Amino acid sequence: MAPPTLDAVLTGLADDKATGSLRVGKDGTVYLTRGRVSYVECAATPGVEELLTASGRISAGGVRGVRQASGPEADGGDLLVRKGVVSRGELEFCVLGATLDASFFLLRSGTSRSRFKEGDTHWLGPHWYFDVSGLFRECDRRRARLERAWPSDELDGRPVVPVGRLNGGHVLLTAPQWELVLAADATATAADLARRLGRPAYSTLLAVRELAAAGLLATQAETTEPALPKRTPAKSAGNAPSLPRPPEADATDVNLLIRLRDALEAL
Amino acid sequence: MIGIEDCLSEVMSIPGALDAILVEPISGMAILAEGLPDSARSAAGLTETFRAALEGIALASPEGTVRIGDMIITTETSHHLIRPIEMVFDGPLLICLRLDLERSNLALARRRLGTIADQLMAK
Repeated sequence: MAPPTLDAVLTGLADDKATGSLRVGKDGTVYLTRGRVSYVECAATPGVEELLTASGRISAGGVRGVRQASGPEADGGDLLVRKGVVSRGELEFCVLGATLDASFFLLRSGTSRSRFKEGDTHWLGPHWYFDVSGLFRECDRRRARLERAWPSDELDGRPVVPVGRLNGGHVLLTAPQWELVLAADATATAADLARRLGRPAYSTLLAVRELAAAGLLATQAETTEPALPKRTPAKSAGNAPSLPRPPEADATDVNLLIRLRDALEAL
Repeated sequence: MIGIEDCLSEVMSIPGALDAILVEPISGMAILAEGLPDSARSAAGLTETFRAALEGIALASPEGTVRIGDMIITTETSHHLIRPIEMVFDGPLLICLRLDLERSNLALARRRLGTIADQLMAK
């Protein structure tokens, strides 16, 4: 018999008014408080800890300290508020945002292997509650929103870079889009950029799709013409032969590699 | 210092308030609403209104970049007040309030909304 789906497991726990943590494969954990989801963490998305440190409000060591100081009744969030790191409203908004972000990637991960640990709580404590059905509904809505922005997952998992030239006279960007354009350096994917910027993975992915739809963002292969690497003059100083610099081009460009090999063999 | 739920009830206690909703405009999600039959639809509409205003006003401004303090839209029956609050993590958060045209004082409501926004962010 196939194991029950994550949806069915969570609905069952909600019906039982369960409190505890549901570990979903190796990808993340769903925390429930009396049958409602109070926090979700996912390996692919920044959690409250990372969002807080990226915002510059507290150091990673500071978060660790609060986490260790939080008691068995899970009062870490209250400690953060008491220490003046965040306001009550900011903490709720941060927990809510991180939970939705993690849910979006975790609940569709396809992993049906899960293990429930009765009574387990997250160190932050509960600060916002979601009904299980409401959480799934919001994930569906976000997926539809993503498709509406640009119905292609072509750039979702690939490193992106802004195009070199605008095809129009001017461009309007939102603040998150601007940050993304500055950070997109042809080495980082949407998920990498989210971590680098300390932004939720979903909103970064949405910004990537919006910019792609506007023709402003591409993968590196589309923006750079394959070209032979520039000759580097041999160093005059020192006797040690200088190592040849690796060509700065997309490794998938087979033609370039063949031309390079031929050139080397002809030496 | 108040939380998100208290923030909404404070907003609804403003004289002439008909309905109110907190919206996260990046994904277009309704966080919490009161007095609205379909909060998801309202959130989508208000997100679109805010985004259109931001883009339109940015184009119309000589600087080319804007930060909206608040928006007032008056219809035949009501005033819509939209106030963005910048959040450090992912923002902004929109507080949206609809006021009865006859029974409300716009200047007072706008001031109260600002105070409530400050309380939400106060540490």
